[in-house]
Amino acid sequence: MSGYWIGIITILAINIVFAYGIFLAVATGQLNLGGAGFQAIGAYSAAWLSAEMGMPLYVTIPASILVTGLIGFAFAFPILRLKGVYLVLGTFAFAEVVVGIIINSDALGGAMGLPVPDYIDWPVPVAGAVVAALICFYIMSTRLGLVVRAVHDDDVVSDLMGVDVRMVRVAMFALGAGLAGLSGGLYAHAYTYVEVQTFNSALSIYVLLYVLLGGAQTPWGPMVGAAFFTLVPELLRNLLPQMKVAVMSVFGVEGAVTPPDESWRFVLLGVVTVLMMVFRSEGLVTRQLVERLSHPFRRRSSNATQKEAEA
Amino acid sequence: MSTVPLLSVENLSISFGGLKVIDDVSFTLEQGGRLALIGPNGAGKTTIFNLLSGVYRQDAGHVRLGGQLIDTVPSRQRIGFGMARSFQNIRLMPHLGVVENVMLGQHSRADRPGGLLAPLSFLGRSKARAEAEALLAEMGIEVMPGQDVSTLPYGIRKKIELVRALAARPRLLLLDEPAAGLNGAETEELMAFLDRISASGVTLLVVEHDMGLVRSLCTRAVVLNFGRKIYDGPTAEVQRDPLVLEAYLGPRHSDKSEASDVA
Amino acid sequence: MLLVQQIVNGLMVGSVYVTVAVAFTLTISILNFLNFTIPTLFMVAGMVGWGLAYFGLPFGLSGPLAWPLALAVGGLASVLCSLLVERFTFRYMRTRHGDSTEHAIPLVSSLGFLLILENLIRIFYGSDSQRFPGPSSDLTAQIGGIFVRIPQLVSFAIVMLLILGLVWMMKSTRIGRGLRAIAENPDAASILGVEPNRIVPVVFMLTGLLCGLAGALFAVNYGEVSPQMGEDIGSKAIAGMVVGGLGSLWGAVAGGIIVGLVEMLTIHFFGADAVQVAVWGALLVTLLMRPQGLFGHNAIGKGKL
Repeated sequence: MSGYWIGIITILAINIVFAYGIFLAVATGQLNLGGAGFQAIGAYSAAWLSAEMGMPLYVTIPASILVTGLIGFAFAFPILRLKGVYLVLGTFAFAEVVVGIIINSDALGGAMGLPVPDYIDWPVPVAGAVVAALICFYIMSTRLGLVVRAVHDDDVVSDLMGVDVRMVRVAMFALGAGLAGLSGGLYAHAYTYVEVQTFNSALSIYVLLYVLLGGAQTPWGPMVGAAFFTLVPELLRNLLPQMKVAVMSVFGVEGAVTPPDESWRFVLLGVVTVLMMVFRSEGLVTRQLVERLSHPFRRRSSNATQKEAEA
Repeated sequence: MSTVPLLSVENLSISFGGLKVIDDVSFTLEQGGRLALIGPNGAGKTTIFNLLSGVYRQDAGHVRLGGQLIDTVPSRQRIGFGMARSFQNIRLMPHLGVVENVMLGQHSRADRPGGLLAPLSFLGRSKARAEAEALLAEMGIEVMPGQDVSTLPYGIRKKIELVRALAARPRLLLLDEPAAGLNGAETEELMAFLDRISASGVTLLVVEHDMGLVRSLCTRAVVLNFGRKIYDGPTAEVQRDPLVLEAYLGPRHSDKSEASDVA
Repeated sequence: MLLVQQIVNGLMVGSVYVTVAVAFTLTISILNFLNFTIPTLFMVAGMVGWGLAYFGLPFGLSGPLAWPLALAVGGLASVLCSLLVERFTFRYMRTRHGDSTEHAIPLVSSLGFLLILENLIRIFYGSDSQRFPGPSSDLTAQIGGIFVRIPQLVSFAIVMLLILGLVWMMKSTRIGRGLRAIAENPDAASILGVEPNRIVPVVFMLTGLLCGLAGALFAVNYGEVSPQMGEDIGSKAIAGMVVGGLGSLWGAVAGGIIVGLVEMLTIHFFGADAVQVAVWGALLVTLLMRPQGLFGHNAIGKGKL
């Protein structure tokens, strides 16, 4: 496999793990716009243990999950009293504070970053993505998953049904933080360098968009979202210059055309986001879509029942 | 039969912003009884339900369930005491399937099928799913199990909400306007449905506007007006009570012997 | 004396934060909508203003004093962008699902617009910081040993006047009353004859105006604009809004000034690297300890949040 594809598979796997981390919070109806903060905690705990303590991989990667999960748990208890925009702001502020602390910490290399001695090849992040996906699919298929979706839909009624809404939210938020931490640990070892500038607010925004545009109703959504928004920009990297050449040739310009700015890809991501919110705000993959695809023959009969019921 | 009433409400009061919405209301409900809670709009019927289920906390007074004081029991745990409710506007989970909504009703039961981390539909049907499907079939609801509730007609959703409450195996069922928005045939069907539930030993407390339904379903009625109890007695005599007539029709009409259009 | 100087600086810096914080507060209190395009609108005003002043105005209007006109057009661009955002976010907010993340829909759209606008500006003007050819920002007055930069003092005055006007508008005009009705209960408001689709654009127009003004003031005061200028100001304005109290105009004013002071004092005592932690930390502590903020009241967005 070429280095180009190895790079893409690695970042895709890391993004999938990251998206699942945010998905678990979003699945309970909590928008987590602090993803970059949690990924940074995971990345720096793995990097620090590896660089300063000389710990091996099988310690640093689990440590990145554990440290981030515990911090997420401690943070979730007070912050999940907040709802709606307050919660979004709170998680966003958390990420900014984390990054701010790292910049000011000499032990973590400050603005310079930390080199990570141990390198991992692409199979490790891919294994991480598979594990994260299995965990999420499993949880969502259990009674806990049912309760998670109920809390997302209506927290007042869930409470009256005997669901401990706060515990469900805190548990999912913390577990999600752990997965975001894992994505950070994988990132640190895959790129053998961590730099605080990587974990900026734009990253938090992107990962939330992966989840929401992919669809937060089923665990398929984050995977599809992360894959779509990691792979499509790569396709556009080749496609956009060709399109520009084509457009230019319509206006009679021949020969060498300077390739378009990288920013065009983000403009397109923005346009897709706005259009998705207008036309399909529940995301690409919905529960009904999964249901329909997994039971292709049920659909007709269910329509028949509905007609009978209405008649 | 025990002598302790299943539900006993003692001097319940709550105010919102200085306004007494429920003012010193007391009543009891026997095991297996069927009590209607009626009154003009804004009389505080739904507020009583919200106090009973713990959505609001009362300013004064007590609620006992099976003799046990439940004033300090958080709303989440009250269903575990055997009290389930339906809502005035159907509040089913829009993104859960029909069967999944009913399975949510099982959640509070100590003897619920399947643990917290047991898969609910992995490799065929699990016990929890099978039980929910059986309950739906028993109540005569035939829909595709995975169907989204939001696509179903109103009357069926109303029934599913009832089945969800039943899945908790309650002793006491609080029904907030069960017949609202139903047509004649659907109301008939609902009556038969509630009769069966009551026959199985579940106690019913019903908020309802349809006096016909109230008379044929419930033996006793409590009437509220401006948060106060103004009548507590047999449903047959409600429409002859002067205070009740005054509440519904204003003081000028209170001399009329019977008003058939009450509520 | 140095400390007093820092406090005065903080007040002056705060006036830009105040303007943007008020823009955030308007959309949150009236529409329950956290509009992430606001910092971008601020940036658009500054960058478009710079572009026009640098590359020349159309119709041969360019001259040494073209910069005020350029900034005015920049502000106009910000208003137009804001209305565009309204067309694609809030019009569709009346959503069908009724679950707990539905408030996220306009928020996510605004994140989309943030990406679009910021990257379009980068494509047209590049990512570098640019010097704004305005009046010298070094004009200072000395009052009792304290140095005050004249443009900053003028900005401060303009901002305060503007906010007084805004408060008057919300209280005493028909539009203001309609906006407050929508803030309290959108359903009841439409029964009372307030048409959301006609009055909601007013909020976005005001937002665009405030951001346009803030962008222009920033360009003149700092003499420098860049496609990134919104991020920093946006974060401080959000912090100011939360600290002052979500949903209260005067709270946003006080919060913006407090954040300006916190920034200057943090630089004074701990250095510039600590500002991020101090500002966002203040926001986080406020959210955890007193979510309604210093001057906010609980009522805003009750039931909707």
